[in-house]
Amino acid sequence: MKPYLGEFEELVLLTVAAVFPEAYGVGIQKDIEKRCNRSISIGALHSTITRLEEKGFLKSWTGGATTERGGRSKRFYELTQAGKSAVTETKSLRDELWSISKIKPALK
Amino acid sequence: MKNRPPRLARRIFKLLSGSADIDDLLGDLDEWFYHHVRTHSLLRAQLFYWKSVLSLSFSYALTKRKRDVRISPYSSVFTIDIFGNYIKVAWRNLYQHKYFSFLNAFGLAIGMSVSLLFISLYSFVSTYDNFHVNKDRIYTITSKQQRDVEELEYSTAPHLLADKILAEFGGVNKVVRIVKAYESTVKTEKEDLPAKAYYVDPEFMSVFSFDMIQGNPNVLAAARGAILTRSLAIKLFDSMDVIGETIELLDGRTFQIGGIMEDHPNNSHLSFEMLLSYSTISESKLRVEDQWSNYPKQYIYVLLKDGAISGDLQNYIDGIAARTYSNLPVKVTFSIQHLESIVMGRDLRSAIGVKWEASGFLLFGIFCSLILLPACFNYANISIARALRRSKEIGLRKTMGGVSKQIFFQFITETLLITVVSLGGALLIFILIRAEFKSILVAGSSLDLSLTWRMVGMFFMFAITTGLAAGVFPALHFARLNPIQALKSKINTHGSSMRVRKVLTICQFALSFGFILSLIVFSRQYRYSVNFDFGFEHSNTVAVHLQDVDPDRFKMAFTQLAAVKSVAFSSGLLGVHSSFTWVRTGANDSIEVAQLFADPNFISTMNLQFLAGENFRNEGWQGERHIVVNEEFLKANNIDTPIDALGKIYRVDGKDLEIIGVLKNFHYMPLQYPVGKFFFRMKPSEFAYANMRVTSMDAFDMFTQMENEWKRLPTEKKFLGKYFDDELDEAYSTYKVLLKIVGFLGVLAITISLLGMLGMVVYTSETRTKEVGIRKVLGATVTNVALLLSRDYVKMMAWAILFAAPITALIANRILSGIQYYSIELSVFDVIFSALILLLLGIMTIVFQTFKIATSNPANILRTE
Repeated sequence: MKPYLGEFEELVLLTVAAVFPEAYGVGIQKDIEKRCNRSISIGALHSTITRLEEKGFLKSWTGGATTERGGRSKRFYELTQAGKSAVTETKSLRDELWSISKIKPALK
Repeated sequence: MKNRPPRLARRIFKLLSGSADIDDLLGDLDEWFYHHVRTHSLLRAQLFYWKSVLSLSFSYALTKRKRDVRISPYSSVFTIDIFGNYIKVAWRNLYQHKYFSFLNAFGLAIGMSVSLLFISLYSFVSTYDNFHVNKDRIYTITSKQQRDVEELEYSTAPHLLADKILAEFGGVNKVVRIVKAYESTVKTEKEDLPAKAYYVDPEFMSVFSFDMIQGNPNVLAAARGAILTRSLAIKLFDSMDVIGETIELLDGRTFQIGGIMEDHPNNSHLSFEMLLSYSTISESKLRVEDQWSNYPKQYIYVLLKDGAISGDLQNYIDGIAARTYSNLPVKVTFSIQHLESIVMGRDLRSAIGVKWEASGFLLFGIFCSLILLPACFNYANISIARALRRSKEIGLRKTMGGVSKQIFFQFITETLLITVVSLGGALLIFILIRAEFKSILVAGSSLDLSLTWRMVGMFFMFAITTGLAAGVFPALHFARLNPIQALKSKINTHGSSMRVRKVLTICQFALSFGFILSLIVFSRQYRYSVNFDFGFEHSNTVAVHLQDVDPDRFKMAFTQLAAVKSVAFSSGLLGVHSSFTWVRTGANDSIEVAQLFADPNFISTMNLQFLAGENFRNEGWQGERHIVVNEEFLKANNIDTPIDALGKIYRVDGKDLEIIGVLKNFHYMPLQYPVGKFFFRMKPSEFAYANMRVTSMDAFDMFTQMENEWKRLPTEKKFLGKYFDDELDEAYSTYKVLLKIVGFLGVLAITISLLGMLGMVVYTSETRTKEVGIRKVLGATVTNVALLLSRDYVKMMAWAILFAAPITALIANRILSGIQYYSIELSVFDVIFSALILLLLGIMTIVFQTFKIATSNPANILRTE
């Protein structure tokens, strides 16, 4: 069975890939909030990241302590191979559906 | 001011996270905080911080991180495997140091045994009356009488109050009136059987939950109805099928049996063998006012309606008491008492059935802890003292990565294991002393101390608690050890903790000393009382209860016996009991005087000494005319010399009696009471005892002869004869009980403190072998070394004696004079003697171990290093 990706999970995975190498907690959250114009709670974000890590889509390492963070380290995330293929599969599924659907993407 | 993230929020978050790794999360929080401070206000930033902490605290992210930590190799969380490992290591440790383990287990077992008695007793007593279905709504009414300055609290209450409550108080469902029968003896063909009886209202059976076997509780509504318990029915009729039969009481009244019920459970405070209908009691002849102030043996139980408030009832009876007693000379107040608090509640007079004194319970509890706490302390003491031995083990464990918590649990497990083992020993002692314990208690016969699962569970909980109490101190001590010092064997065992331990050891010896001294004093008091010079001859005297035998016939029959030298009659036993009467001394004055009815032979048989006058005359008795008084009687009436008293006439019980003799003072009552005013009167109809002076021949033979003679007399009663000395002995049996209790507790306390000392001595002599070796090489003699090793302990015992002697002496003197008017004085010899016993016991404990070390060959000792 293909691993199921939720909407928010997909969003987080793609954002991690987008802001890499600055993909740590605050960086990811700021990017999502700016891009989607929606406020997300820090607890929800970290829970999702934790789940994605459990599923093997993300890997992490620590580093990059700054005075801004009270000298505490950051935990950076990066997509694993499985993570990449998971988002790719989701994308191809969507593309396929788009191509056979009757909706024309609105052009700006 | 520097903008800082809210510290409280951070602390809470850290606390919630435990040992999970949340460094990056905290970093994120801080980063957001400073971001918000820049973009918004400080307040917004702080609010956001709090919100984020809240959101993270309940997030899956944190849960997962905490879970990850738990399965790391450095976790300190209990799993079955680790627990199993603890037990295994603990067992090996205990097995390796068998001697110490045995000492510890033995001490704890002794310490716990008495507490087990207490627990089982308490668990039984706390179940009293819990089987009644309506127990939550049943109350009894107690009364408090104000008499002069004295306030007396009774479990009784006037039945007029019951009628009022039933008629006027709205919240009441049912009221039961109970009268405890003064004496109720059932006549049967063979013999008369005393049976405990209550006169009760028919509601009795519906308010209380007792089981009927046959018949209808309504028989109690009719006059002369009776319900018998199963065991009484079987005792009387040998059958249960007795409904409709009649029983006759000793006073001639007959009752018809209308029902049979199960015996009431042991844990019922109501204690009876038959219930008789209340309507049988004739209307009180007392005036109404007197009925309100004089209500012996009357009890009231009230069943409230569902939802009624007990406070209302209390208010109601308060109102009645205020109204009723406003113009009566006696002041009485009432209070309600819940059914389940009767047995263990306040100490009231004239309880209806079983009553446990709360104060006695408290005392017992204190004694239990006096025995248990030293045992726990000894365990902790020996364990800590042996820290040196085990310091290498602990140091190594810590170096290998063992954290404090693990060491702590290891030692707690060890203690728990040893307490569970000693629980077995304690249980053994408990079973051995249980029967004896029950026989000492007044209400022991209704006591059920058999082991139930509930009780075993409680014992187990108790053992665990004891183990924790005894083990937590040494376990903390070991857990805190510094591994470097521990491995270098540089642990400091001398310091403030040493002083505490010394003080506690001294306390233990002081306790032991107290027990030894009380034992000596009480046994001396007992011997003193029994061998006391009562002022009359009581050896070789046999007292026989006459019961229904005519004195003259008795005398004729028994004077024929070879063993009997003389026979004299009296209304009571001299030195055991006497009755009281009032003597008119003036127009309005009267004094209370103790009296005994006796025949002329009595004074000579008992060898009482005349100071003046003569004995009662022997010839034909023509009604009461004379009295023989004692010295105190003269003193009370201001008569100076015995001669003056002769011929004086006093009015006693409506008769004018003339003094014909004056006797030297003697003890007509037990030694609890001072010698007071007393006289002998002569009236054959009052005679109840025959006092026979006998030759000192074989007692068994003599009693068989007497019994044979008794059987020829026209009576079916049993022969009740006893040596006078035995009767006196019995009057002082309280001392025997006291001696037994003090002796038993004393043996326990002494054993525990000696065990503790033995453990310490064995330990110190083991650790000081090297020192002893060097001392011997340098020329110390065996005596020097032995003294060196035992000096500390003897010193501690001396301190203990010094502290305990005045306190014990004070308490013992107070108790002695409190129990008995004529008592011994505590002497210096008692103190010295008990001090010697304690020292002797202590030295005996340490001498063997000390000499073993002192006589050892120094070459052998020093070579082992």
